[in-house]
Order: sequence, then structure tokens, then C-alpha cells
Amino acid sequence: MSRGADESEALDRFVEAARSIVSPAIREWKDRGGKVVGYFCSMVPEELFMAAGLLPFRMRATGSTGSETGDAWLTSLNCSFPRHCLSLGLEGAFDFLDGVVCVNSCDHIRRLYDVWQRSVPTSFIEFLTFPRQSGPDQVAWYTGELSLLKGKLERHFGVEITTDAVREAIQLANQTRSLQRSLYQLRKRERPPISGAELLSVMVAGTAMPKQRYNELLRTLLEELEARDGAGGYRARLLITGGILDDPVWVRTIEGMGGLVVADVTCFGTRLMWEDVDEDVDDPLAALARYYVADRPSCPRLFGSQERRSQFAIEIFREFGCDGIVGEKMVFCDQWNVEHYLLGGDLKEAGIPFLSLERSYVTEGTGQLKTRVQAFIETMGK
Amino acid sequence: MSPPESKGIARFRKDREQYRNVYELFQNSDDPELRHAGLLGKLISEARDRVVRAHEEGEPFIAGHYLTAPEIAVAMDLPWFSLYEGVLLGASGETLHQDLDATAAMGLGQDLCAVHRWSIYYVENDLVPIPTAAIGLVYPCDGIAMLHQLIRSHESWRDVPFFTPDPPYFEDDRAVAYFARELRKMAAFLEEVTGRRLDLNRLKAVVEEGEKQYRLWAEYNELRRAVPCPHGFAQGGLYCPGVAQVMRPGHSDGTEWFKELVENAERRVANGVGAVPQERIRLFWFDIMPIGWIYEFMPWLEQEWGAVMVMDMFGNHAYTPIDSSSEEGIWRGLARRGLFESPMVRGAIGTAQARIDDLVRIVKDYQIDAVVWPSHVGHKETLGLQGILRKTCRELGVPFLDLRMDIFDNRYSTPDELKEQFSEFFQAMGLG
Repeated sequence: MSRGADESEALDRFVEAARSIVSPAIREWKDRGGKVVGYFCSMVPEELFMAAGLLPFRMRATGSTGSETGDAWLTSLNCSFPRHCLSLGLEGAFDFLDGVVCVNSCDHIRRLYDVWQRSVPTSFIEFLTFPRQSGPDQVAWYTGELSLLKGKLERHFGVEITTDAVREAIQLANQTRSLQRSLYQLRKRERPPISGAELLSVMVAGTAMPKQRYNELLRTLLEELEARDGAGGYRARLLITGGILDDPVWVRTIEGMGGLVVADVTCFGTRLMWEDVDEDVDDPLAALARYYVADRPSCPRLFGSQERRSQFAIEIFREFGCDGIVGEKMVFCDQWNVEHYLLGGDLKEAGIPFLSLERSYVTEGTGQLKTRVQAFIETMGK
Repeated sequence: MSPPESKGIARFRKDREQYRNVYELFQNSDDPELRHAGLLGKLISEARDRVVRAHEEGEPFIAGHYLTAPEIAVAMDLPWFSLYEGVLLGASGETLHQDLDATAAMGLGQDLCAVHRWSIYYVENDLVPIPTAAIGLVYPCDGIAMLHQLIRSHESWRDVPFFTPDPPYFEDDRAVAYFARELRKMAAFLEEVTGRRLDLNRLKAVVEEGEKQYRLWAEYNELRRAVPCPHGFAQGGLYCPGVAQVMRPGHSDGTEWFKELVENAERRVANGVGAVPQERIRLFWFDIMPIGWIYEFMPWLEQEWGAVMVMDMFGNHAYTPIDSSSEEGIWRGLARRGLFESPMVRGAIGTAQARIDDLVRIVKDYQIDAVVWPSHVGHKETLGLQGILRKTCRELGVPFLDLRMDIFDNRYSTPDELKEQFSEFFQAMGLG
């Protein structure tokens, strides 16, 4: 199966940003005296950092080869994502960060915060309380959280975050979302001009580059891809659903077995951009809170929205003409463990083939993954 | 006309008889500890009876939680049961391994806490009575939130009205005020779906009776500081929240149970009688004890090593009196207790600091010789604290034993394996 999007300089920039932590774009930003704030999980609004003139960086442990350093604090029974992040943090890989913001997105991340606070020198470390539900009271609570964080950012970084600046950041991030949705539209084609692995690089890069630059590159890529015909010869069109999937190698392995990934419901995918933040409001902080708590496609962290999540996955599945759904979950993740159990039931009812896969953060030993994907595609009669 | 019998109600009837038999077996014992343990059987049996009778008479009853102000249901005369209670009661039952294996066959990962897997199994197999309404719980861990998501989504429970209080994370006034509002909303929800009214004077009375229990619990914990410790693993501990927060919150029967507990401990302290003839090691068990196989293991610690579990996570209670002089004081007090002070939730919901504070205080106050960190496979957030607490213990100069176990399933780490680990640890540390 050919890539379809090769020979693209824009794509090369995205791949470059996604396969390292400190990409040239970040280095350039730092060289110009810019500051960078790392944040865990997609429920932290990057718009707030942008409004403060900071570069938001979505935390990941790309390139980590071992979690031994982190395991001395956490345990081998904790999720491998925070263990690898902590290891890199202890080894100094995140020294370029000027701050870190955590959120109680899961049991593992909140304990990572406790350890990070005590063991990785970080001049600004904050924590957001994200509600468990998505009603008006929870939106109001999160608005309060964002307001508190805004004040802390202003004091620590010596900046003023004006309402207009938040509004502008929302507009810029919405432009990104719109461009990303346009990219997704191309995947609906019978011969999509971009593979799932390449697309994941594009999405990951969006959380590790200045938005203006990212949007310019993405426009260029879109123009190039519009005119191109993509790869055929795949056996099945797949949707991937899960949480923190930032590793194109994992997707490429699936695609290597003939399962072209044409859609997703993940935290580096549709969950980031399927909806826009409302721009026509008086209080942009409230708009951000409503978006992150209530409006965007939810993850299992939000109680009471499981039916909505299943429905969304089914809609995307149909919209992109998929043949099956591959669910990915990190080992030791209680949220995705039960979510897959529930989703599996809903998909069975809808007659949609579903494969639930456990994985570790760092892709190693792809043999079993290949076998299971191959068997899954076989069972679909493809 | 009573509604049709369900497997859940049949199970509750069986529990009712079983625990009544326990009570009857022990009530005339010469051993005061056994008599007191038998009283628990009575309280459990009566709690089951209240639900069964409500079902038979077509009256409302609810599923709730000890962390979401059970005093409200008590004040509304609403029989209630905890969605966890049946599991914990069944932990030493004869079908333990069979039930655990069945949960594995359902495709749920075996690292998901057995309490959650088991509860899911009970719900999936209709072994829990369908209540008039349910209170969901989404803290202190991810597993419990997902368990309630599953219950809410389950076919048999889809028509059950659900209310789930939303929990903040940090302990401060803003969080307490927010959660107090959530509890008020919960009370209004219960009024609407059950037709029962919440009389605030009645709530005040229930809270004040509850305060007597909490004061006695705190007094009891003071008595456990004595050397030798008057009681071991078999008294106090898990049973204290069991009575004050599940079986008899805000009721004089519960207060009587605590009075007897305190009186018994007082007598033993006055006479210098410890849990074992010669106490040699004082342990802080910093999690839940291995309740699925407790009698296969804990007596060995006492008999072989003179090692007494002086304090454990469930026995520890950071008790702040509730100001019942005002309505706001009551709501805020209930919110603070349910969210930040009760066993299990304290330390599990927020940052590591609460656990560090407890560790430092207990090691000093209770003259602890070693801290046992069981690392129950299902407690993910707890597991994530081992490095921080190990460091704290090092600073305190107290040995820290980090184990791996499933507190329900003795096949994960067998009692024999753990006995070996304990023996090596005690020898290496020069204890006992």
C-alpha cells in the first residue's frame, strides 16, 4: 500500500514534529525567547496558554525506550504512559518546559502529578479539577477552574490574559479544528490520499507547534492532497477508538496488515476537533468550559455520556464508510477497560465488527498485534 | 401486592437468615469479643430485612453509598443498601473463586479491582435488587465511576432514576460548598422519585446521633494507641465505617455497638491485655486488609510473629465534628465527611498529601514498627503513591513493606508466598 501523501514537505514537517519531543518548531520558539507549557490530556484548554502568549505542548513520551526511572516512583501496575513521561521528566527531557499543567483525568495521571511535583524541578506546576459530569453546574465549576488558572498564569508569567486575547486564541484554535476536519473529509474517499499513520502525525504535530505555523502548513498539505489520489489495495476500512494514541508506528502496523485507518475517535483525533468552541459569547472562559466539559466528543472520564459516545462512534463509522472498529486501550486503564466492555455490547447490537486491543505506550513486539488484526480482517470476510 | 421475586431479593433474604444465624450463634458466648462480633450479624441482618420488607410492601428503597451522606436516606426513612455491601459480605463466601472466575470470563481485565468486577457480575446476573432509585458514585477512583456507568447503562437498570453527585478534587471551602449543593440536589431528587419528604429536624437528629458514633470511633482509635494494642485485626477496622456509615448511620443501635467496642477496649487497656499474649511488632496496614482471605493470613501474623495490626486504612478516620446548629453547617459537614474524611475516600480522592499526613501521624501516634503497603492490584491510584510513601517512611525511619496482592483473590499472591515475604522482611529489619 503506498502512502499517497509522500513527496510533501508540509507532511515531513508534521512527521518531524510528531516523532520527537523538542521539534525544530519548538526549538525555534524557545530560541526567540518564547515559553512553553506542557499539559496532560485533551481536557486542558490550550487556548488559555495561547492567550497568554505561551506555546502549549501536549505531553507525550515519544522516543522513550524505558520506564525504569519512573517505575521507582510509580509501579509496573500503573499505566505505561505516565511511567514513560515521568522517566523522561526525571532524565531531563522536559527541561525545555516553563510549566506543566495536570488534570484529574485518570488515577494514573493524578498520581503522576503528585510525583512530578516532588521529583521533577518545574517552576510552574498546576492542577485542574475536571468535573465528572457535563451539566450546567459542572460547566460553571470548570469555568471557575479556568479563571483560577488564568490568574495563576498571569501572576507567574507576568502577563495579562485579556478577554480579547482568549477570544482570538479560540478563533485560531477553531481554524485549526476546521482545517483538520477538512483533512478528515479526504479520508472518506474510496482512495484516501493520506494514510491513518500519516494523519496521526499531522494531529500530534498540532499539539506541538505554534498554531499559526501549523495552520499554514496544514493549508499547504490540504491543497496538495486535494489533487492527489490515494492508495488503494487495502482490505478493510477501519475506525480506531481509544484514548491517548500518539504513536504512528502502531497505526502503521495495522495498516501493514491491510486495514486502512480512515477514521478515529481518539484523544489525538476527532475528540480534539469535531466541534468548535462557541465564538459568539460574552465570556470566552465559559465558552471554553462548556466546550471541554459538554460539547466536544467525550471520553470515558465523563460519567453519564457512554450512550452518546457509542452513538458518536457509530455515526463516524458510517460516515467514513468503515468496515470495522479497532478499540485500543492501555494496559491497567480502568476507564477504557469498562468502556470497551460497554462499547462492545453496543457495537454488537449495531452489527459492527469490533476488536478490542490492549497495548503499552511504547509499541514493542508487533507480532501479536499483526496476528490479531489479520484475524479480525479475516473474520470480516475481507 | 408485592412485586415479583427477583434473584437479588432472594439473595438478600438468604443474607438476612445467614447473618441472623451468626448473631444467634454468638449472642450467648462467654467471649465478649465474639458477642460483639455477633452484633454485627444482627445489624447486617436487619439492614437486609428493611430492604426485603420494603420490596414486599411495595415501598421505596434505594441503592446508595456510604460516601454520599447516608444520613439523608435514614432521615427520609428510606431503606437503602450499598452497591458494594453485597460484594464485601460475600468476600469470604464459598463461591468467591467461582464468582471471580466468572468475572474474568466476562472479558473484564483481571487488574480491574475485584470489587468492581464482582459488582458488575452481580448486576449482570440480576443478583442485586432493582431499587426505586439509585445514587451513583464517581469517586474516589476510576473503577468505581466506570462501575456506576455500567450499572446506569445496564438493561435492567435503565429505568431506575439515577442521581450522581459530582465531586471536586481539592479540599477547600469552594469544594465543600459545591459538594454540599450536590447533596442538596440529591435530597431533592430522592424526594421527587420516592415521594418521601426530608424533614430537616429529623436530619439534624440523625446527624447528631451519628456524631455520637463518630466521637466513640475517635475514642476507640485513641485506645488503640495503647501498648499493647487492645485489639488486633478482628476488631474495629473495617467494621467501624461498616456500622457508622452503612449498617446503622445515625441510629442508636449503631451507637450501642460503638459503646460496647469502646468499653471492651477500655477494659483491656486498663488490665494491660493486648490482642496477643506478647505484642512484638506494631503494624500500620495502609490499605484494606485482605478481606477475601483474612482468616487465612492475619491470625498467622499475630501468632507467628506477635505482629499486631494496630491501625489500618478503614479504621483510620479523620473525624471533624459536624456543626448541626445550622442547616448550612449540616450540609457542609456531610459534604466534607463524604468527600474528604471517610475511610477509603480520604487519601484516594485528592493529592498525595492526605496520605502523607496520615502516615506521619499514625506512625508517631501509634508507635508503629513497620508500615505494610499491600499494593492491591486494583487500587491504581494507591499503587501510584508507593514511591512517595516509601520516601516518607525512610524519612520517618520506619520500615516499609511493599507487597503485591489481590485482597479478594488469594491466588494472585498466595498466603504462603506472603508469609514468606513477611518473615524475610521482619528478619531483615530485626523486628519480632
